[in-house]
Amino acid sequence: MSDSKKKKDAYLGIDVGSISTKGVILNDEKEILSSAYIWTEGNPIGAVKQLVGLLEQQFDKEAYRIVATGTTGSARRLAGTITGATMVKNEITAHAVGTTSYYPETRTILEIGGQDSKIILVENGVAVDYAMNTLCAAGTGSFLSSQSRRLGIDVEDMGEIALRSKNPTQIEARCTVFAESDLVHKIQMGHSKEDIVAGLCQAVVANYLNNVGKGKRIVSPVVFQGGVSKNIGVVKAFEKALHCEIRVDENGHLMGAIGAAILAKSGSVRREFDFSIEDVEFKTREAKCGRCSNKCEIICVYRDGTLIDGWGNRCEKGDVMHRKVG
Amino acid sequence: MPDKKSAGAAGRKLIIGLPRALLYDRYRVLWKTFFTELGTDLLVSPPTTLETLNRGTAIAIDEMCLSVKIYLGHVEKLVGNCDYILVPRISNFGIRRYMCTTFEGLFDICGNLFRRTGQKFLSYNIDVTHGLDEESAFVSMAAELGFGKKAASKAYKKAKKAEAEDWKNQVKRQEALYKQDGLKVMIAGHSYVENDAYIGKPVTDFLKSAQVTVLRADVMDRKNALKQGSRLSPTMRWEISREIAGGIYENRKRVDGIILLSVFPCGPDAMTNDMIIRRNDGTPILNLMLDGQSGMAGVETRLESFVDILNFHKNT
Repeated sequence: MSDSKKKKDAYLGIDVGSISTKGVILNDEKEILSSAYIWTEGNPIGAVKQLVGLLEQQFDKEAYRIVATGTTGSARRLAGTITGATMVKNEITAHAVGTTSYYPETRTILEIGGQDSKIILVENGVAVDYAMNTLCAAGTGSFLSSQSRRLGIDVEDMGEIALRSKNPTQIEARCTVFAESDLVHKIQMGHSKEDIVAGLCQAVVANYLNNVGKGKRIVSPVVFQGGVSKNIGVVKAFEKALHCEIRVDENGHLMGAIGAAILAKSGSVRREFDFSIEDVEFKTREAKCGRCSNKCEIICVYRDGTLIDGWGNRCEKGDVMHRKVG
Repeated sequence: MPDKKSAGAAGRKLIIGLPRALLYDRYRVLWKTFFTELGTDLLVSPPTTLETLNRGTAIAIDEMCLSVKIYLGHVEKLVGNCDYILVPRISNFGIRRYMCTTFEGLFDICGNLFRRTGQKFLSYNIDVTHGLDEESAFVSMAAELGFGKKAASKAYKKAKKAEAEDWKNQVKRQEALYKQDGLKVMIAGHSYVENDAYIGKPVTDFLKSAQVTVLRADVMDRKNALKQGSRLSPTMRWEISREIAGGIYENRKRVDGIILLSVFPCGPDAMTNDMIIRRNDGTPILNLMLDGQSGMAGVETRLESFVDILNFHKNT
């Protein structure tokens, strides 16, 4: 008892995206005590367990204890269940909260991730409006990585290659399928690789501004986040299109996780986080509810063989936590 | 399947099938009162489920919008269980008062897709620019069923009155909602999207579970809605889009946010929603497109974050 009283409070935030999984532990002053960034590789449960292990290595268990946990990202629900999170929040709110607590003067947050792109408008440190891509993933990170494969270059090198271009090629980026045929055409016409890569970066920006950025007043200071912000070619293309400085923070990729930790801190629930989840076996199973013709796909989560949570049901008939479905 | 020869004026009551999709929400009171007055029975298809959508998708060509696919699923459910299925053809109510092309072609689409079932379809044809108004359309539809002009005209007038009364009540109920405290969000979209049990209801259910009062943009005096819609854009072609835009223009100051709810790939919405966003006055606006994805995760992320932002906004 007296031992735990001496320990200071800390907050864990985990952001499980489609491509990467990020985690931070913050203290009361919102300083980063530990952080980690790994690939999700289609295995969110494995990624979370691995992430927790990495965070534990940097964490001083004698001085701190984690009193609240927040999860965000597209696998937030799953991550929340297996970590026993006290706060599960969508990634837009988490990004806005994370960014504005570090940069209260921010007015616009641009974010391009693996499958999503978003814009968040901020006034007086508070998010006031946002937009997100609608149905398809055109113009996001997955578009750039598929095109880099076609060009035979690493996606990480795209930015540097783009900077070498003097005359970026015009490429249509509204739809990935059209962009690809446009790209092939331009390659065959003899355009250089630098020009094409620079054209792709510009196409991503044009697509972003015409879709999620449509009708939004982009006011500086502008912060650019998400995996694509690591691409200097896209950053420069944004600066050219918006005529203002684009700020890319070295911790930009952690902002979702930081936001989740801050949201967990401001929440009312307290539950000490247990690092032993690394050794627990979590399994998921998809069940089809047969109780009506909607046939909902229900995800059941098991902890060491015991059902601990389930979701995906449209109505209470498929509520696995209160009645069994088969 | 009932024997059609013995049906009608001679003996057993006719059964008219009403698919619970597309214009059903808009015209249900008009249709139900009209046919009940004439003395026919009605059969309404059950609310949409995944099965309805899957059946409709199998029947439809892939370029049709999600709502038409759902509609065709409803029609199939009724086929063989009624004497006629009502599928109106509505082209326009006058100059610059057009309906989406879907409603112009729907009768022919159904007649063609279900031609091998032997099912009879009943239609009425509204095309005001060619002199065919609603009343004459209803009278000639009734004539097809063997009812006289006088009876049909009387039934139509009664139905029209009931429709106006029902709409007035809906507007009144909505006005009361505007006066409520707490977060208010206006859904701007076709009523057949918002009120569909499978695609639209999860959206309103989610908002209600987040303590949001949900309002419908187009629920207001229709004449005024058209007038206001013209102020937003004088050249908008589609009647329903104009009503929705008018509702936004009239009431956006009274809500905390607007959700543009549309289905993929809706032609009119693709054009008008873009314009609405560009001509917005700063009220937070969420453009939400629904497709046939059975997972609700993407929709919930967008709705949850939108509500969070509206709450941030309100609390500062």
